[in-house]
Amino acid sequence: MNLERLPNEEKLTLCRKYYLGGFAFLPFLWLVNVVWFFREAFIKPAYTEQLQIKTYVQRSAVGLLLWVAVLTTWITIFQHFRAQWGEVGDSLSFTIPRGTP
Amino acid sequence: MDIMFLKFLNICTCLLKRLSCNSVEKKIYINLNETFPCVRLLNATHQIGCQSSLSGDVGVLHLLESEENLDWVLRTGPNPPYMVILESTLFTRPILMKLKNGSSRVAGVLAVQPTSNPPEGFSPHTSCPNENTGVYSETYGPSYAHCNVTMWNPLGTGISYEEFDFPIFSVKDDNDTEVIRRCYMEHNRAVNGSTPQYPLCAMQLMSHMAAVTDTATCMRRNAPTFSLAPDGVCDPLGDANIWASTKPLNSSTKGHKDGVSVVIAATKLDSRSFFFDVAPGADSAATGLVALLAAASALHNATAELNRTILYTFFNGETFDYIGSSRMVYDMAKNDFTVDLDNIHSILEVGQVALGPDSRLWLHSDPVSKRNSSVNVETLVSNLQAAAAGLNLSLGEPNVTQPLPPSSFQRFLLERPIPGVVIENHQTSFTNKYYQSMFDNAEYLKLNYPPNLTPEEQLELVTDSAKALTEVATTVARGLYLQAGGELAQMSRIQADSELVSKMLYTFLVRVNNSWFDQLVKSDWTGVLSELMLYEINTSERKVKTTEPALMVQCILANLTGSIANITEGNCQDKKMDKDENMNKDIYSYLWVQGPVRPNSTERDSFCVRSLVRQSKALSPAFELSEYTSKNYSTWAESRWSAIKGRIFLVASHDLEMLTLGVGVGVLLMSLLLTYIVSSKADILFSSGREPTNATY
Repeated sequence: MNLERLPNEEKLTLCRKYYLGGFAFLPFLWLVNVVWFFREAFIKPAYTEQLQIKTYVQRSAVGLLLWVAVLTTWITIFQHFRAQWGEVGDSLSFTIPRGTP
Repeated sequence: MDIMFLKFLNICTCLLKRLSCNSVEKKIYINLNETFPCVRLLNATHQIGCQSSLSGDVGVLHLLESEENLDWVLRTGPNPPYMVILESTLFTRPILMKLKNGSSRVAGVLAVQPTSNPPEGFSPHTSCPNENTGVYSETYGPSYAHCNVTMWNPLGTGISYEEFDFPIFSVKDDNDTEVIRRCYMEHNRAVNGSTPQYPLCAMQLMSHMAAVTDTATCMRRNAPTFSLAPDGVCDPLGDANIWASTKPLNSSTKGHKDGVSVVIAATKLDSRSFFFDVAPGADSAATGLVALLAAASALHNATAELNRTILYTFFNGETFDYIGSSRMVYDMAKNDFTVDLDNIHSILEVGQVALGPDSRLWLHSDPVSKRNSSVNVETLVSNLQAAAAGLNLSLGEPNVTQPLPPSSFQRFLLERPIPGVVIENHQTSFTNKYYQSMFDNAEYLKLNYPPNLTPEEQLELVTDSAKALTEVATTVARGLYLQAGGELAQMSRIQADSELVSKMLYTFLVRVNNSWFDQLVKSDWTGVLSELMLYEINTSERKVKTTEPALMVQCILANLTGSIANITEGNCQDKKMDKDENMNKDIYSYLWVQGPVRPNSTERDSFCVRSLVRQSKALSPAFELSEYTSKNYSTWAESRWSAIKGRIFLVASHDLEMLTLGVGVGVLLMSLLLTYIVSSKADILFSSGREPTNATY
């Protein structure tokens, strides 16, 4: 979808949809929001809806960073300590590697 | 289209072997044909054995010349990691431990089997076998626990119970091994201090084991919570015990049987070694097994009128913390067996009974239970000594107060004080120099068959060892006869058959495929019997699968102690009996036996044998109760693996590999650059000049 061809109101609706959708534990929607509307929000010359789009993009970026931090921490802890957690580690795993603890 | 058709044709003809195919893989790799790996076993607390990486470990070959040469492998050699070839004289604990400690530079070990047994002895087992699951502990005879009084296996190095994180394979010393040695000599030898130049001879050994840590972990991972198609990682060790009674016992009623007094004649039928699937167990298992089978055959006609019943039990899995006997005792205590512990009058166990030059056997008994006045061991001992009178061997009791050697009898003592004796050929420590190793074989028992005889002639030859073992079998048979209430005067008509003993020894230790055993085997046996009989306790997959040694014992025992029944094949195998036999269904077991070959034909006269031989499950109670960290029962499990193979090839230096990769990447980048340049200047390069006019010609 080429944003150039959309009228500004529709751009705002689209941005809002992606922003609200990301709250349903879908951080990738926020990532798409940030990447796709970055040029619209910050680089294009000002138009009426741009302020709202800018806030949505900023909030999406904040949410995305939060998710990245939480997921990175959890993944690091899990990968490092799964072997030591014994039964709990095995019950949390979907695929357990064979041949290594 | 044409090219695909040609390729298809080529493959077709290649497969049909009309044309000789040049496979690139065959030009690079030489596969090792017959290898015996060391595999991973787990118990409640440890993992033992060897592990390789998922796609195999690759290392530059090095033939170890002496223990000092280890320095090359561990410190000074310029091309680590190394794949060490150990000749049999160097396969010792100190060298293996040093390799284990330096394992970042060791990719694996290849052990070459010698052509004859090492004279100084070799035992990879522990020096105090089964010390934690025997009867002696802090609560029972604490001064006897942990081999305080007698070290049973002094030559034991314990390497079978160590953990290695590189693969260790064993190969026979034949043409393939010569190829490996030649490859090393041509490419890898450091001559006069110069470093060997690439390309070097390398070997890849693959034996990736799936299970880790201990039995509890691997049994948990056998059934993970989320997995769609669980792929098991390990199997508990388990097989079948074989037992038979001299008088009919109704096997459908379990628990105590009133008025039945049983004398148990026990022995074990399994052994192990450091490597997987190599376990001849000649002295440790086969001698006792054959002696008891021959005794059962000798007693066949004489036991009907005796007071007590003799119960022959052949336990499986005794090497791994008494799997079979602990299971049978557990079943008896739970009233899940045909008789129970109160029915047992006494126990006679036949241990390692290969006679030495002095023809002496020793009767071991338990000093702790003997203090109890109700436990009468003296009668059993005197019966046995009376049984040996007039025969070519002498029995004696050890003159040291010492505990029982590792034996299945200890598991019975854990439940009740029962009088019992274990017959062994050693007074204190084992005389067996190769206990639980690959060298405990026919050569150690001096079963020397002259090589110019055909297999049939070898089968008929009665060696001196067989004659000596026959004396032992006769003693055991007469001793059991007296213990079961027989008259001393009638004893002398009980005699074991030396030809039978010789044939059994030949079958178990030299070659299974012989005409005598072919007659006795079940006719629908689908298992392929290998050339040399292997006594390893099998791994079960949730249901016990009976392996060849147990099935062999079952067939032989059924034929020796049973009688021929006039039943058709269908009824015999489906156990559908006519009216006369129907009441015997619960008591007897029926076996459809192949029988002898008719002369001048390939047909066999098969028949049905009715006998009192049965199987009982030999799976440790720890797995029944799901107590995988149990200290009382055996918790041994064997890991699963996908592929076990090895191959040798020449390997190039790392620098050459990097150079090739670099050149390849450079060519890729150059071609991308060239394509981009040509593409961006396409209109200049591919200008068509003047536009063609619309003139038609």
